[in-house]
Amino acid sequence: MILYDFDYERAASFEDASEKLRGLGAGARVAAGGTDLLPNMRTEIVRPATPISLAALSPEPPSLLPDGSIRIDALTRLAALENFALVRTALPMLAKAAASVAGNQIRQMGTLGGNLCQETRCLYLNQKHDYQFKAPCYKRGGDLCYPFPTNARGTCWSVHMSDTAPALISLDAQVEVHGEAGIRRMNVESLYTGDGMSPIQLAHDELLTAVVIPRAPARSGWGYCKSARRGGLEFGIAVIAVSLRLDETSGVCRSARIVIGAVRERPVRLVAAEEALTGRAPDEATLAEVATAAAKELNPLPHHGFTKSYIRDDVRIKLRRTLESAAHKARGR
Amino acid sequence: MLKRAERRKSAPRRIVELCVNGVWRYVTVEPRNALVDVIREVIGLTGTKDGCEQGTCGACTVLIDGRPMLSCLTLAVDCDGKDIRTVEGLAEGGKISAIQQAFLDQGAIQCGFCTPGMLMSITSLLEENPKPTVPEIKKALEGNLCRCTGYNAIVEAVLQASDQGVLPVTR
Repeated sequence: MILYDFDYERAASFEDASEKLRGLGAGARVAAGGTDLLPNMRTEIVRPATPISLAALSPEPPSLLPDGSIRIDALTRLAALENFALVRTALPMLAKAAASVAGNQIRQMGTLGGNLCQETRCLYLNQKHDYQFKAPCYKRGGDLCYPFPTNARGTCWSVHMSDTAPALISLDAQVEVHGEAGIRRMNVESLYTGDGMSPIQLAHDELLTAVVIPRAPARSGWGYCKSARRGGLEFGIAVIAVSLRLDETSGVCRSARIVIGAVRERPVRLVAAEEALTGRAPDEATLAEVATAAAKELNPLPHHGFTKSYIRDDVRIKLRRTLESAAHKARGR
Repeated sequence: MLKRAERRKSAPRRIVELCVNGVWRYVTVEPRNALVDVIREVIGLTGTKDGCEQGTCGACTVLIDGRPMLSCLTLAVDCDGKDIRTVEGLAEGGKISAIQQAFLDQGAIQCGFCTPGMLMSITSLLEENPKPTVPEIKKALEGNLCRCTGYNAIVEAVLQASDQGVLPVTR
C-alpha cells in the first residue's frame, strides 16, 4: 500500500517547526517518531498535506532542575528513557510505563511527547476506509458511529491509549508547550480535552517540547499496572497509575492520585476514590474498599472487544493490587 | 521500481544519501515512500519484508544507526545520512552470521517471512547484551510476530548463538 501523496518539511528547531506550522496552515502536522502518525496516515484518518519532520532534532538528556524536579525532553525515545540513571532511580514509574509501550522497535522510534499526544483509537475508526463495511464515522467526517449507533452526532467514543500519560498525571507532571507567544507550562491533565473528535488541547502551532516531573516527597509510593491480554505489543484494557503519600508519623494516607488510562477519551482521575483514601491507614481492607468504590466511580467506554462490566471488574482487582504495591513502597521509604 | 502510474503528479522528489550495509548510495525518493519500499524496490534488497505496514508485525525491522526500527513506519526522506543495516548485511565474506546459523540449527524458521525482522532485532540485542537471559530475549522480540514456530525454537536459537549451552538440534 503506497501512502497518499504529500509534501515534506524538516524542522531545524522547535521554533522553526512552530513557524512552519503557522506558515503552512491546517495542512501541516509535526511528526516525531511517526509510529502513531504514519499508521493513521496509511488508514487516512489524518491526511496532512505537509508533515513537518522533527527527525533532525536530537533530544537533550533529562536534567535535574534547581527545585528538584526533572525535565525530560519530549523527543526522548521511549526506549532511551530507561537508560538514564536519573529516570531509573528518581522516576521508576515512568521507566516502567515507557517500557510497557508496544514492542521494542516502536519504543526505539516513538517519543515521550508523541506518546502523550497520540490519537485516540477505536477498532472501527482505525481501519482503512475501503475495509470499513459501513460509511465513514463521525471522526472521519461521516454520518454515523458504527460501534455506538445511538451516539449523538459529532461524538466519538474512541479511547486514548497512552501508557505514559496516566503515570505522568499521577506524578503531577507538567508539560512545556512551545507556541508563538513562547513557552508555557500546563498540567499533563489539562492536555486532554475529553472529546474523542479532537483529544489534544493544543493550538495548531503549538508543540509539546518537554515534560517536567516534580520531586517525589518523602514517604511516597507508586504503583503501575498495564492490564493487557498479552505481555507485549498490546494496547491496555486499562492502564492504572497510583501515587500515594503517607504521613511521616501516623502512616495514614496524606494524599493520593489515582489515574486510569485506556478507558475513556482521556486518562481519568478518580477523585472520589482519592478522597476516600486520604486520611485513612492504607491497610488491606481499606484498599479493597477504595478499589471497589473506584471501579464503580469509573465509567469506562467499551473498547477492543471488552465490555464495560469486564473493564470495571478488571480495574477493581488490578487497582487493589496496584494500591497495595504503592502502599508497600511508601511504607518502605 | 515504482509503477509509472504511481509516479505521476507527486510532490517534488528528494535525493537522499543512505548507507545501506556499508555502501553509500544516492536514492531519489518521493516524500511518501516508506523506507521499506525504497530498500526493496529501488535498492533491490528484498530480504526486508513488508508485512502489516502498521507497525505490528516487525517483519520490516532494519537497524537504523544500530537501533532496530520499523522501516514501514519510517519515511525514506527522514533517513538522509543514516546508516542502515538489513538482513543482507549480516553475512560476512560469504559466511552467514552465528545467529543465522543458529536459526538453521534450531529449526527456528518455517515460512521464513518474519525471519529477517527477527534476525535484525536479535542482532541489535546481542550487540548490546552478548548473553541475554530468556526474559530479556522475549522483551527484545516483543515487536516481532511469528505465526509458525511458537517462538520456542527462536529463543533457543538466540541462546545457541549467544553460547549459553544450547546445542544444535541433530537428527
